[in-house]
Amino acid sequence: MREAISARTQPQAVRKRKRSLRHDNLMGYLFISPWLIAFFAFTLLPIAASFLLAFTNYDVLNPNWKWVGLANFERMFMQDPRYLKSLQATFFYAFIAIPLRLVFALAVAMLLNTNRRGVSGYRAAYYAPSIVGGSVAVAVMWRQIFGADGLVNAVLGTDIAWLGNPNTAIWTLIILAVWQFGSPMLIFLAGLKQIPREFYEAAAIDGANSWQQFWRITLPLLTPIIFFNLVMQLISGFMVFTQAFIITGGAPLDTTLFYALYLYQRAFVSLQMGYASAMAWVLLALIAIMTALVFRSSSYWVFYGSQED
Amino acid sequence: MRTATTSPSERAMVHAPPRPLTHNKGVRTVFYHLMVAASALVMLYPILWLFASSFKSRAEIWTNVSALVPQEFTLMNYVNGWKGFGGITFATFYANSFFYTGVATVLTVTASAIVAYGFARIQFTGRRFWFATMLTTLMLPVQVQIIPQYIVFSQLGWINTFYPLLLPRIGGQAFFIFMIMQFIRGIPKDLDEAAEMDGCGKGSIFFRIILPQIAPAMITAAIFAFYWTWEDFLTPLIYLNAPRLYTVSLALRAFADPSGTTDWGAIFAMSSLSLAPVFVIFILFQRFLVEGISTTGLKG
Amino acid sequence: MRSRLSVLVMLLMVVALVMSACAPAAAPGAAPAAEGDSAAPAADSGQKIELRIAWWGSQNRHDRTIAVIEQFEQLHPNIDVVYEFSGWDDHWTKMTTQAAGGNLPDIMQQDYARLEEWVSRGLLLPLDEYVADGTLNFANVSDTALAGGRLDGKLYGVNLGTNSMTVVIDADKLAEAGMEAPKPDWTFAEFEQFVTALHDKLGIYGFAGTLENEQLWKNIYLSLGEWVYNEDGSALGYEDDQPLIDYLSMVKRLQDAGVTPSAEERIAMRGKGVEDDKIVTGAAAATYVWSNQIVALANAAGEGRNFILVPMPRPAGGASANYLKPSMFFSITSQARQPKEAAMFIDFFTNNVEANTVLMAERGVPVSSEVRTALEPMLNTPQKQMFDYIASIESSVSPIPRPDVAGHANVINNVYWPLVMDPLFLGQQSVEDAVKVLREQANAVLSETASQ
Repeated sequence: MREAISARTQPQAVRKRKRSLRHDNLMGYLFISPWLIAFFAFTLLPIAASFLLAFTNYDVLNPNWKWVGLANFERMFMQDPRYLKSLQATFFYAFIAIPLRLVFALAVAMLLNTNRRGVSGYRAAYYAPSIVGGSVAVAVMWRQIFGADGLVNAVLGTDIAWLGNPNTAIWTLIILAVWQFGSPMLIFLAGLKQIPREFYEAAAIDGANSWQQFWRITLPLLTPIIFFNLVMQLISGFMVFTQAFIITGGAPLDTTLFYALYLYQRAFVSLQMGYASAMAWVLLALIAIMTALVFRSSSYWVFYGSQED
Repeated sequence: MRTATTSPSERAMVHAPPRPLTHNKGVRTVFYHLMVAASALVMLYPILWLFASSFKSRAEIWTNVSALVPQEFTLMNYVNGWKGFGGITFATFYANSFFYTGVATVLTVTASAIVAYGFARIQFTGRRFWFATMLTTLMLPVQVQIIPQYIVFSQLGWINTFYPLLLPRIGGQAFFIFMIMQFIRGIPKDLDEAAEMDGCGKGSIFFRIILPQIAPAMITAAIFAFYWTWEDFLTPLIYLNAPRLYTVSLALRAFADPSGTTDWGAIFAMSSLSLAPVFVIFILFQRFLVEGISTTGLKG
Repeated sequence: MRSRLSVLVMLLMVVALVMSACAPAAAPGAAPAAEGDSAAPAADSGQKIELRIAWWGSQNRHDRTIAVIEQFEQLHPNIDVVYEFSGWDDHWTKMTTQAAGGNLPDIMQQDYARLEEWVSRGLLLPLDEYVADGTLNFANVSDTALAGGRLDGKLYGVNLGTNSMTVVIDADKLAEAGMEAPKPDWTFAEFEQFVTALHDKLGIYGFAGTLENEQLWKNIYLSLGEWVYNEDGSALGYEDDQPLIDYLSMVKRLQDAGVTPSAEERIAMRGKGVEDDKIVTGAAAATYVWSNQIVALANAAGEGRNFILVPMPRPAGGASANYLKPSMFFSITSQARQPKEAAMFIDFFTNNVEANTVLMAERGVPVSSEVRTALEPMLNTPQKQMFDYIASIESSVSPIPRPDVAGHANVINNVYWPLVMDPLFLGQQSVEDAVKVLREQANAVLSETASQ
């Protein structure tokens, strides 16, 4: 579009643009070639294989698998009550944990975006829960904290086995996820650092208070980063695995049976790799649709310093 | 290190109130530190707990679980843990981990920045398609890719080598590519265009203009890439079968056996120790996050 | 290249190579590389035979096993043993992946619950040939000890240690309550009285173990001379649900009376190591474990604690609810390159006294009587208790049941816990309904697995 308009007004520029467009193709593919090479060499095959396996009854150990058509998909939605429970648990988790995590991450990033004394120490402290990750050692600690005679009950004066109670178990996992907001926080922090200071200086001269500065400068300029964090948290939120795997194993009553955990159990415990592959592709479709919606919406609320197509 | 006396940044502080300066500011600072430090303690609890447990004696670990101060302080857990397995000590595992993590981090961050620039700043046919494909690869659970991937690498004869762990990194990683893209897209295009007028090619625009400005993004990417590679156990588990090639995160998982006797003290000790490099990298790198774009070149 | 998946992936590889100019430089070497075993490329200096072996365990087991491997290598300088070890979950992830890639080690540690699954897929070699030619010498091993590794009359795994379930009672708590240890042939009714009395007198949990565990379901029907699965694994093996109904009703009573931890607490602790058991902190007076776990339990509890081991209780009128279970096996895989040397190693592991003084019964009570006698004087207290316990029940136990059928893992993970036991004890379904669901759903899963 823009090309066309400029073409009519400036014929000389047209030729230049055209040349640069061809040039762009070459340079574009040159710059993304590392990814393309790795994709064709290492990623494409396993993905294609897993797609084909979704239509088989492959069980890993048995060399004689058969094509079963759409049977895996049929079974998922018609004959597998646990599958539906895993969907339910995953959606519940994602829709609560993702927004909470993002809000916490942004709030703390703002708080730590200063040059006050000691702020590096604070950053390290707030990042700390995110690096203890999913080790066996830490699983012991979570069970202890949320156990019947654990820290949480001691503080609240309650007597609840948080991880074994079907009403509370998923909330403990959500709290853990929110607690580990370190990675989106750090990305926000880097984003805040990238906002040119001059903007604030100019706004201060105009008499804007910090609240107005937040809404007029920080938030709009941060939208590309918010967008990124939202998309990535969405993807990783629906693929959540580790915490449930090491702490609850999906219990009680499958209330913490996250999609990826159930998929893992089917793949490597029950050894139904064909079925697991089918589940994986349904998950991919689900996430892809939601991600596409977020991308669609982005033209309304994400502001780039540079104009894009 | 960084004192509050550097005036330009102080002046520009987002929270700096316009009017009554000194008094109000002191109160604010005290309040800030109180609040942030108190919550920091909550955030630090898991690390403190892990660290405390690593100094508890065998009997105390399970009978005095929640205590943050061991009754009786012992270093035996570190001694027993460090011994590793059958004469292969954690020195070996650390060497492997540093090799894997170091090379993988450098590869990932460098490649991701290059690819991100291609996606963010260059118009080319198929750009949207390849970008969508790249994001889609993130959405397929790894559990169903392990076996086909293993077959590929074992046909290539790469089992028990670091190739399956490192070579896929030459293309960067989708997460970082997308992240750096977003930072690049936040940079006004005027600079690129000005440089292009001056006859700069895409390559030199990338190196001279873009790269210095996405330093915060690169640092963040490096911190994550380091941590995620450091704690990755699945790839090493599948491809590094010989114990001499085990990484720290893989070795840590070989301590516990729910059906037998587990030396939990050693697990806590080695887990604590394995956090050290991650922490050091974080502390070293995040210092650079203080220096944003306005000190590194861009002038309005 | 034995599996069709390999062929599929290879095919895709070729297509990818043809279609993309971006193929990695290493690709041309792909096909020939598949020829030899890719592990430890440097090993073929001279004419050394490479023997690969994989097991799961903890640091303790790794250290001891590696030491024995070194002994074996000294005895056989022409054999180079290449080993890999990991934790339980990782072991199976790795082994399934290697099986799919046609790259299994010569010897793998196997589990009683998975043996049939692997045998039915043709992944393990029968060992009878090596028993017949004397490579595997079982002169000092009783047939009961070996029986667990046998399927359809063929031996697929060599038992590495004998185990049996046991009720563990805190001796000091028992004395404090002024009570006597139960008789070895106690019934569930006596069990209920016993743990209730402990709870009433001491004010702590009378029993901490998860009584709705599938092991106890098995124990009940074993004791009644039946088995939970039928011969071909296509359905449940028992007709009468009443014994299970009676048992689960008792478990429910104990839970409601606070004699055992609540369902929520039991769920939170499920599948964790014995170190997490409430008997360790003194919050419970009794629990149950596999006999080899007494060592870990005593370790976690610390010095100065005393425990008594008693056989598992049984339904009224039943035989012993105990059987001698192989703690784990060494099996030779069908992808093995050196099956003969693998058998030699297993024989060494089983019979060599010196090797076993290093292993020190870490995998359970050794099956060779000669080894047991030699170890006897070297045992510490919990190890001695474990030996004595096995010796005391050996003559009265029920015969070992068939290894778990191929659909077992599926039944336990997808039916037993989520659809039967958890809803029951969280108060969402009655005992009768739970038992009905178990029968219907388990049969559905089993018949599907068996027909594949």
